[in-house]
Amino acid sequence: MLFMNLIDKSKHTLTKLKLPSLGFGLGLRTDHYLDILESKPNIDWFEVLSENYMVPGGKPLHFLDKICENYPVAMHGVSLSIGSASPIDKGYLRDLRQLADRVQPAWISDHLCWTGVHGQNIHDLLPLPYTEETAKHVAERVVQVQDYLGRRILLENVSSYASYVDSTMTEWEFISLISEKADCLLLLDVNNIYVSSYNHQFDAKAFIDGVPKNRIQQIHLAGHHNHGDYIIDTHDAPIINPVWDLYAYTLSRVGAVSTMIERDDHIPPLKELVQELQIARDIAGKILKAAA
Amino acid sequence: MSHLAQLQADFQAYLIDDIKGVAFKNRIIDDIKVGVNKRLGIYYDAYRFRIIEALATAYPKLHSMLGDDLFESTARSYIDQYPSTYRNMRWVGDKMQTHLLKMLPQHPIAAELAVFEWTLSLAFDAEDAPILTLQDLAEVSPETWADLKFVFHPSVQLLPLEWNVLQIWHALNNEETPPGVAQNSEPYLIWRRDMNSHFRSLEATEYTAIQLAISGVNFGVICEKLQKNTTEEAATMQAAQYLSSWLNEGLITKI
Repeated sequence: MLFMNLIDKSKHTLTKLKLPSLGFGLGLRTDHYLDILESKPNIDWFEVLSENYMVPGGKPLHFLDKICENYPVAMHGVSLSIGSASPIDKGYLRDLRQLADRVQPAWISDHLCWTGVHGQNIHDLLPLPYTEETAKHVAERVVQVQDYLGRRILLENVSSYASYVDSTMTEWEFISLISEKADCLLLLDVNNIYVSSYNHQFDAKAFIDGVPKNRIQQIHLAGHHNHGDYIIDTHDAPIINPVWDLYAYTLSRVGAVSTMIERDDHIPPLKELVQELQIARDIAGKILKAAA
Repeated sequence: MSHLAQLQADFQAYLIDDIKGVAFKNRIIDDIKVGVNKRLGIYYDAYRFRIIEALATAYPKLHSMLGDDLFESTARSYIDQYPSTYRNMRWVGDKMQTHLLKMLPQHPIAAELAVFEWTLSLAFDAEDAPILTLQDLAEVSPETWADLKFVFHPSVQLLPLEWNVLQIWHALNNEETPPGVAQNSEPYLIWRRDMNSHFRSLEATEYTAIQLAISGVNFGVICEKLQKNTTEEAATMQAAQYLSSWLNEGLITKI
């Protein structure tokens, strides 16, 4: 590694690396609030979108509190912009920590991407160039964030549609470099791996084999939209079989990992997502039994 | 500027204006399968679609009133005019009133409908606070009423409107054809109760009284101000009725 010693060991390196698995969860969506609280479905945990609850008060926080009383919760953000060349937004971090104080989440995650520079926000998960310079920059910022939050964060691989001429390594090498240097955890989005492997024509299994398995704290699963020559990560449809196969492959390599399904559009009744989650349970049951 | 900073500045410039930022294409790997134009087009379109969707969520009745095409073109020019500086999409539409006054000056109803919807949304997720009841007031000795000052719930807002926004809002809410636009100068009270936004019109005297109460003057002064066109007794009765309804509606958090 070119930048050994550039980053001081943060406090969290002293704590055990991975946290216990939460089992099988869903993304918390407003359409399902009442159903969840009334029917107490067979869902082990919920992932909440941090920004949706970074508001002063009212219904969103009321229901968040109710869900937290009944289920373990993890916080997932979209605006940390950990890869931005602009300084870290301290106001955002303060609000994030304040929300974490309220939620007491099992963990906090965001994306390995950038969302804007010069005070602007594009509200998209924009890809980073896979270079030593960028990896060093990101790792330094992850350490800052982890020190501020007092815990390791999870970084998620994003779906991407373009790759840079400047990149000098693969995405999985880039992720590995950052996670080792910053001593952070990973949120492996298996659908995003599939989408990016399709869009950039790489081997999805090589990606899974290439990231440090001891750092994978959580898995995301979702549906997407295939346009023929490329795929858009839309989170608006059921998970397709090749992504389930990749999930099975991941578990065979990594073992039991907290898994959840993201659905952000065309949100079906909760029952349907619970049924889809059962597929994940069944796959995990089969793979982990075989491994044992 | 570092390589990364330059790359991101160029990418962002391209997303904001793909003609001016065209040189950025050279930084992306081109290929036969998809091609650089389509690849960058995905990001260019997603930037706009995502914010248009957020604006449609923030302004559902404005969307209905303008129709899909005019709403979309208004939203696109809004994005060009006011690039988001917020981490949270919740706030991206906060300049819509200003934008509509410039974009559609011949239709001031559009800006008023927007400010009405935005105010409803501010009430929806305003800070939480405990609510006082009539029972709490009953515990206060009547001799000290004149000195009472009131703290209103953080969701409480007063909105003077010049047009028949409410009639149009109700019609659109019921998926009916809205009435024609007409001037209708009336102030409105907007607040949150039982986790939902509420609103009602205020007649002139109550508007004066609640403005005074919100500004922090005491009950005695409110009664005095209401005496302008009536007796002291009638003004006090009127102020007490207002106070009672404000408490019943969950508007007051502290005395």
